[in-house]
Amino acid sequence: VTIHLSIPLWLPAIFGVVALLVPGRLARFAGLVGSAMALAYAVALVADFDTTKSGLQYVTDRSWISELGIHYKLGVDGLNLFLIVLTSLLFSACTLWAGQERREREGLFFFHMGLAHTAVLGALMAQDLALFVAFFDLMLIPFFFLTGQYGGPERVRAVTKLVIYTLVGSLLMLTAAIATAVLAKQGSDGGGLTFVISELQKRPLSSGSQHWIVGFFAAAFLVKMPAFPLHGWMPDGYRAMPLPVLAVFSGVLSKVAAYGFLRVVLPIFPEGAVFWQTPLLLIGLASILYGSAMAFTTTDARLILGYSSVAQLGFIVLGIFSIQEEGAQGALLQSFNHGLVVAPAFFVVGLLAARARGSQDIRDMGGIAFRAPVLAALFLIVALATLAMPGSANFTAEFLILLGVFQSKVVIAIVAFTGVAMASVYMLRAFIRTMHNRQGEGTVSRDLRLGDALVLVPLVALILAFALYPQLALKRSERGAVRSIEAAKAITEPEVPAPAAAQAPAQAPAPVSGQEAPVPSETQVPVPQEAPAP
Amino acid sequence: MQTTAWLVLLLPLLGAVVLGLGFRALPGKLAGIIGTAAIGGAFVCTVLTLLRLQDLPAEERHVTYIAWDYANTVGVDAQLSILIDPLSLFMMLVVTGVSTLIHLYALSYMASDRGYVRFFAYLNFFVFSMLILVMAGNFLLLIVGWAFVGAASYLLISFWYRRTSATSAGIKAFVINVVGDIGLVLGTYFIFKGTQTLDFQGSFAAVGEAFPKGDGDLTAGCLLLLVGAFAKSAQIPFHTWLPDAMEGPTPVSALIHAATMVTAGVYLIARMHPLFERAPAAADVGAVVGLVTLLVAGTIGLVVTDLKRVIAYSTMSQIGYMIMGVSSGAYVAGLFHLMTHAFFKALLFMAAGSVIAAMAGEQNLDRMGGFRKAMPFTFGCFVIGGLALAGIPPFSGFFSKDEILLVLGEQGGWKWILYVGGYVGAFLTAVYTWRMIFRAFFGEAVPEARELEQGHLHHAEEHRNPASGEIEDTDVGFPGPEHHIAERSLPMKVAMGVLAFLAIFGGVVAIPKVTDTLDSFLEPTFADSTIKVQPSDSLLVFGLVLGAVAGLAGIALAYRLWVQQPGSAARIQQRFAPLHGLFSHLWYFNEIIDRAIVRPFAFFGRFAQQTFERLFINDTLVGGPSGMVRAGSAAVRAVQSGFLRSYAALLLAGVAGMALYFLLQA
Repeated sequence: VTIHLSIPLWLPAIFGVVALLVPGRLARFAGLVGSAMALAYAVALVADFDTTKSGLQYVTDRSWISELGIHYKLGVDGLNLFLIVLTSLLFSACTLWAGQERREREGLFFFHMGLAHTAVLGALMAQDLALFVAFFDLMLIPFFFLTGQYGGPERVRAVTKLVIYTLVGSLLMLTAAIATAVLAKQGSDGGGLTFVISELQKRPLSSGSQHWIVGFFAAAFLVKMPAFPLHGWMPDGYRAMPLPVLAVFSGVLSKVAAYGFLRVVLPIFPEGAVFWQTPLLLIGLASILYGSAMAFTTTDARLILGYSSVAQLGFIVLGIFSIQEEGAQGALLQSFNHGLVVAPAFFVVGLLAARARGSQDIRDMGGIAFRAPVLAALFLIVALATLAMPGSANFTAEFLILLGVFQSKVVIAIVAFTGVAMASVYMLRAFIRTMHNRQGEGTVSRDLRLGDALVLVPLVALILAFALYPQLALKRSERGAVRSIEAAKAITEPEVPAPAAAQAPAQAPAPVSGQEAPVPSETQVPVPQEAPAP
Repeated sequence: MQTTAWLVLLLPLLGAVVLGLGFRALPGKLAGIIGTAAIGGAFVCTVLTLLRLQDLPAEERHVTYIAWDYANTVGVDAQLSILIDPLSLFMMLVVTGVSTLIHLYALSYMASDRGYVRFFAYLNFFVFSMLILVMAGNFLLLIVGWAFVGAASYLLISFWYRRTSATSAGIKAFVINVVGDIGLVLGTYFIFKGTQTLDFQGSFAAVGEAFPKGDGDLTAGCLLLLVGAFAKSAQIPFHTWLPDAMEGPTPVSALIHAATMVTAGVYLIARMHPLFERAPAAADVGAVVGLVTLLVAGTIGLVVTDLKRVIAYSTMSQIGYMIMGVSSGAYVAGLFHLMTHAFFKALLFMAAGSVIAAMAGEQNLDRMGGFRKAMPFTFGCFVIGGLALAGIPPFSGFFSKDEILLVLGEQGGWKWILYVGGYVGAFLTAVYTWRMIFRAFFGEAVPEARELEQGHLHHAEEHRNPASGEIEDTDVGFPGPEHHIAERSLPMKVAMGVLAFLAIFGGVVAIPKVTDTLDSFLEPTFADSTIKVQPSDSLLVFGLVLGAVAGLAGIALAYRLWVQQPGSAARIQQRFAPLHGLFSHLWYFNEIIDRAIVRPFAFFGRFAQQTFERLFINDTLVGGPSGMVRAGSAAVRAVQSGFLRSYAALLLAGVAGMALYFLLQA
């Protein structure tokens, strides 16, 4: 069976247009069908994905704007496979959720949801830098309308901030992308202009250009995540967005930014990435500490999750810029996991607010576990997964991330662990203040309705499934992660000339005989730890 | 053997899942019976596994079974694997055995609680977690079990979740345990860095080549493992959660906070002995902390007036012995004490639960007295537990405690301090244990006791939380209209009777010079130990006599202070007021931790929230650019433009400008 990536990519947008055209209630149905079909395709991708192949699969490659060397090139590998699944999963869940609420101009709402779905998938699948940038900027537009038209009372202010921030980021990224192609052309002998990522990888830029280009890309990605101190748009934005929109926004868009580092920055600009390694690690660390501290002092349930996302994305940045295989693998797994927990968490916030007269302040909630035991149990699972309790896939991811950081920068890893402890404080605080203690004044305790369960239970079931078997994702992302950081790692840890060491480190020949295997703590050389017995 | 070993894990999990999903459908006691049967089944499977393992030759008695790859990628070899060897089987036996009895007790003790099904679901989940912890075949799964027991402990401490005292005790326990988890994870990193494998057997085999003896990385790793052990086993300075954990129902205190979970640190050190023996500095730290905890907790036990907290401090203190032992190579002795302690401490908690039930939830020793006649069975159990705890021959605690101290004494050198400290601790133990017994069961009978003697039980009209004084919310079932005491309940009697039997005779598996069942059973696990101590007969006899004398002297002193001359304790208290203040303020650990850790973090959070976010993030970073853009967009608005159009225009202009620049360059 051949799978054409263009089909799942454009299906949601097409059904979005259908939603615009059909009347009333049919619109939600159209929106749901579009995202569900994309989800079915994504699941088929996972099943069909060949883990023995390294490199892109299901490639679609057409020349788009030949004068500028821009290709319509899509492809899937270990880096984006599970993010594609996550995107379609969360859009399906949130469309189903949004379809249960009444709102005006329903067709337009689902059109924007479909368009956003396509834009995110496009950014994830794109294998051409220009195409990536185009989809990356396109992502913002539907969210702009969704917030501006369906959002909370402060939406104008929120949208202004959001747009200004991302606009600056986008422009920087655009500049960087164009500069990359042009400078790469100058560097190559007589080659034409190209934006195709695999081609750009073959044309390394001078280290000076790499330094500033990575700076520009990093600014764009860090704003989108958001990371400290570029998160100024986040509190207003999170308060203003309608919850189903916020759930996909927080669950998916931030991951595209993290993915951008692994897809674009590390492979094309290894020297630039290494140059920025320490500053970015520090930004990741600051995001963890600051996000956690904000999360355990704020009382707005949405912002607890918002700041916890800042902290979680900090971990992902740490993993990526540890420039270690473990770190990259952990970052990919964590991207998937965080989306999988944050969306149901926002859903729970919606349910809690509905039981506290619409208030999203945890001081107005409390004590509803007794009459809503199912909701309490599901929230507990989500909360424990969010705080990365060992046994959850989130823990496996954090374990790998911090192992990677531990191997490259020990001190940062140790400080980052305070974020793990703080996560347990703010998540349990949120759980206890909403579910336990005395019943809040004016709260109504009732359990899940069937419609709520339809959205929440499958997501929680997936959290549990991945807790049992994270290998499903790890096995598929392994080759992609290793390839992504290969070039950068060769700079941070120059290898002892050992043939085929990258492919099969376990069978590499022993170092110079008669010498004890030296394992210096800072620059760890992949030397086999014990010589195989002859 | 493989099937039965996995069944040990699966049965409690199955029990938890069935109870969790069927909480609405299961009527009355059925839930308790299902929960108890699941654990009982796990015990039977453990015994079957044990029999099969003993069929193997001694040097092959370690088997790893792998279910599936858990996170096996880029050189990290985490699998879902269990390790069956004498050590894990020993722990499985203790855990499933004691758990079965405590489930049986809870079957009746919790009968009128409205959270009955939830209670058994949590309890089964706890046993499942504890079994993961002791059966794990690699570091990652160990950490998983480690955290799961922490979570189960949290759920059960906060079981009566409408009490704010219970929920804050729960979060305290959880967070301190997370700190322990972090220690464990970081320790694992250090060890993984050297051995390049997460598998226990692979690590232990590689440790010799990976680390020279006393290596810095290995010592750091072992010290971090100790952080995990201390947090879980309530050793100083990570102990403050355990007394608060007494907010949980009494069967929970018996199971988790006495017999099983809190001894996980002892298991950890015993399991990691090949590492600790190569990092002697770390092992010595463990031994010293064990001694300090043993003495500090003993002194606090002398002055605390909450019945359950006295037993909790006693637990800390007894675990101090075990940690001291396993950190000094007394593995079998430490584990022996772990087992006997599980018996007599669970028994004491059960008996205390019975008294508390008779007191309608009141735990204050000052309010108790004279229960001897009203509750003869409970009294008997308390006495047996108290004698075993005080180390009076021939009760089980007598042999196990002395064996630890014997190994320490035989090693000589500075470990004599541990030896002497251990006997001082034994004296303190006897005093506080019997203080508790004399105060609760002797003296003038309180109204509750008198009513009980006349055959009925006093019920308060409304229940108040003994800790905070707030009126209980009976929604969550606490504590139910009837109070369940051992004298009126067969399951409780059976459970306590069996434990009383074990508390008396549990010592027979390792009576010095007579039996060595336990030593020979555990021998294959510790065969690689480099610490071999051959105790001399003279020290052995001296220790046994000294232990018995210290215990008896302690009981005699307690008898004199609280029975013969009831006022004298108060006089002593006045004369040594500063010392009493130190003890009754729990050596100020809560205050120190609050000042050193909690407040700085809270300050950081408030600073971020109220100052930094507002001034820097919102004003400087947002205010600047957005002010600029506002000015700019005002200009654009002049050209009749909506916001989106200005965005699009700006974007287009930017794109065009950049593109032009670079294309001109090309």
